[in-house]
Amino acid sequence: MPLGAAPLDDVADRLAAILGPSGNVTVADGDDGDLIIDGDLVPRPLTVASAPAPEVWAIDGGQALVRDARCLQIYVVRAGRCCFVDRVATVEEEGDLRAHLVGTGQRGIELARVDGGLRLPANTAIDINLLRERVEWDGIERTLQQASTGALVLVDGDLRPDPRLPLEWVTELLADATARGISVVGVTKHTSLSRGGAPLIGQLEREADAALGARTRWWAPVGRSAAERGVPFTVVAARLDPDAAYSFRLDVAAGIDPEVAIAQVACVSDDAAFPGYPYPLTVADRLAACPPWLREDAWMTIEEHLRLAGVPGDVLHRAFDDRHRSMERAS
Amino acid sequence: MTALGTRGRLYGKNVLEGTFRAAPDDDLFLGELLVAIDEATGRRYLFRVVDVTYGHEHREPGWAERVAGTLLSDDASDTPGAHPLYEQERRTYRVADCRCLGYLTPDGKVFRKPKSLPTQFSRVVSPEATDLAFLERSMGDLHVGVLRTGETTVDVPVGISGDSLAKHVGVFATTGMGKSNLMMVLAGAAMQAGGRYGLLIVDPHGEYRTELARHPWAERRLRTYSSVTAPGTSALRVSLGEMTSDDLRTATGDTSRAQTEALFELERVYGNEFKGISWLLPFSQLDDLVGFREAEMSRSVALSTLQVLQRRARRICALDAISADGDVSVASAVERDLAEGKVVLIDASGLGSTEELLIASFLTRRILEAWQQAFLDDRDRHAGMPTVAIVLEEAQRVLSKAADTDGNVFPRVAREGRKFKVGLVAVTQQPKLVDPELLSQFNTFFILGLADERDRNILRSSAKQDLSSLNTEIQTLMPGECLLAGVDAPFAVPASIHLWSDALRSATAPPEPRPTAAANVAAMLD
Repeated sequence: MPLGAAPLDDVADRLAAILGPSGNVTVADGDDGDLIIDGDLVPRPLTVASAPAPEVWAIDGGQALVRDARCLQIYVVRAGRCCFVDRVATVEEEGDLRAHLVGTGQRGIELARVDGGLRLPANTAIDINLLRERVEWDGIERTLQQASTGALVLVDGDLRPDPRLPLEWVTELLADATARGISVVGVTKHTSLSRGGAPLIGQLEREADAALGARTRWWAPVGRSAAERGVPFTVVAARLDPDAAYSFRLDVAAGIDPEVAIAQVACVSDDAAFPGYPYPLTVADRLAACPPWLREDAWMTIEEHLRLAGVPGDVLHRAFDDRHRSMERAS
Repeated sequence: MTALGTRGRLYGKNVLEGTFRAAPDDDLFLGELLVAIDEATGRRYLFRVVDVTYGHEHREPGWAERVAGTLLSDDASDTPGAHPLYEQERRTYRVADCRCLGYLTPDGKVFRKPKSLPTQFSRVVSPEATDLAFLERSMGDLHVGVLRTGETTVDVPVGISGDSLAKHVGVFATTGMGKSNLMMVLAGAAMQAGGRYGLLIVDPHGEYRTELARHPWAERRLRTYSSVTAPGTSALRVSLGEMTSDDLRTATGDTSRAQTEALFELERVYGNEFKGISWLLPFSQLDDLVGFREAEMSRSVALSTLQVLQRRARRICALDAISADGDVSVASAVERDLAEGKVVLIDASGLGSTEELLIASFLTRRILEAWQQAFLDDRDRHAGMPTVAIVLEEAQRVLSKAADTDGNVFPRVAREGRKFKVGLVAVTQQPKLVDPELLSQFNTFFILGLADERDRNILRSSAKQDLSSLNTEIQTLMPGECLLAGVDAPFAVPASIHLWSDALRSATAPPEPRPTAAANVAAMLD
């Protein structure tokens, strides 16, 4: 069947209708969201905590595709963690580098490797999202075991785990933390939350500027997770520093007063390089990152094993050569 | 600096250059000397810092500008400190660009030019005394200061070999950077050298007379001839008959072509009847210049030109320092003083520039000829004669390309003097005006602060050491700081010149003269 026309101006017109003034005020959590939007969405001043939490932990996951034979992929993942006390790093861990072979015929082995007592169903699909989330939540679990009462634990991204991970496991982790006086907060830099189809956070930023002034810390209740269908947490939007370039979505574990928790987050979001973003999370991001040299290092290790196992070099090349890169487009 | 004394870790560049990373608060200075310890080979590589820049761990462009913007914004909103930079000591650092000067062999005895790379990430530390001890061997016997590393000094003497005076020394600096102080310290060192070296200092401003006389060795090793009456000095008198037309032309180097032609004509007219330039006296006394021109000169010489030359002749002849009488000249005494290894100061403060150069040219010629004659007549006697150097202020007056004529003795000394142990110490603020070919004859440069880039460029191309990376350092030299570039030193040595007052204080007094033996004892010995 022939394709219909899809001109650029048509896209632009539709986008203008979404981003411009509109009567549509329906708030949604992306196409696959499961949030209950019951916050008033009204920005209000945020008072920063007078002192940071006694311990501020941050966890972030990192990943890299080492080689790709399309039917087989080699990934490495790790979870970086850090802890700040009085604005000084006392713990910094890059996390163990975990290698995974994903693809045809590998699910059983990989499932066993990531299960770790979670009793994942045998038909659980293995992909990089699950691998990274698994190692991240493992890092969160270890952190919560280590953290002291009153600690603030920051997680990169939302608190909604990959649906393939057992909800009860994550729910229990967060509930235990809350019971011990530990605040777990997820910070999402770029969220799919929308209102009338347009990005919600941007709209709230404009409303806050108009109502509270341009250089103001603010927060606004957005909603909560559907506890019956997932991990319980509260969702707010907040601008954590007067000089922040962006506002963020923050997920606060259930049972924690969100205003108190984000006031503590704001207290460590004053780094001169990243005003408005929690500095410990930037450190965790650096620790977890898997730069190209690390990817190549991992491949060299694997390649050495393959050589010792007698796998001919040309077999490797045929399997893993990057055909896109070697067959450059004519310019 | 760490507990180990680590100032940084070397990470990049090539055999001749190095780049190392240092802590953000490490106070690195241009010109600072540092050592990279190559644990693998045991060599210790000596580096000189030639630039220091900022570095940071963040990959995204504009990171540092953004941080500065945030901090500036805090200042503007009167909330300094609202945004601290977390972990600044780890996120930011300094990068030092260095020149590799060479390396010490593992036994610490030999310093070699750089021909290999130290192991990457070698530890960089401040030098120890043993790292720089090798320099003492090449710092000669005329010490003028101590080694400088950045803004601090190290107790390693810096100087030149007295023999290198014959290979010519340039002293380059703008006003106020310490030229006069350096010259006095050098003269003091020459006085203490046991008669091995003679210096003839022509001082147009009279600034050295009282100061050099304060030196403990002045009584024995300093002789001052002054154009003005002053205690402790001898009268400066030279004879017109001893001086040549070449001296006159050198001294009047800024004359027009017409004046030069007129001078030749005057020599033709008077030449056979008068010794040297003693014809200046009758010429200066001519009343009827118009008649003289009609009778003696070709009409090609304009009357106005003759009038200018006569005014100059009158001025020269009127000076107390200039005599028509050949018997009153100090030239022989100066020659003798220098042959005895003394510092001879010609205080020309009462003279104009032309007269000062006239006397300097004459004395220089006299010395060059005397040492040359000794070389030709008796090599052994010449070998026993001290090396001498003529110190000339504003040397560009006689060493410029325009001044480089056959009759000018100074370029001749620059080209031929070393063979006869006669050198020049040329002091100038404007090395760019010196003929580059002559500048290349100078084996030793004392470079003090020079603001003009053209001056720095000409020195870079003429120095016997590679100064290509030292432009910024030369630009930022403080008074009394210098770079010593010479063939003896393994690299351009940063130095802090002694203050004259300190040099006086630390100078050892000469030993008491031996008591004269009683007549009967002397007779017995005889």
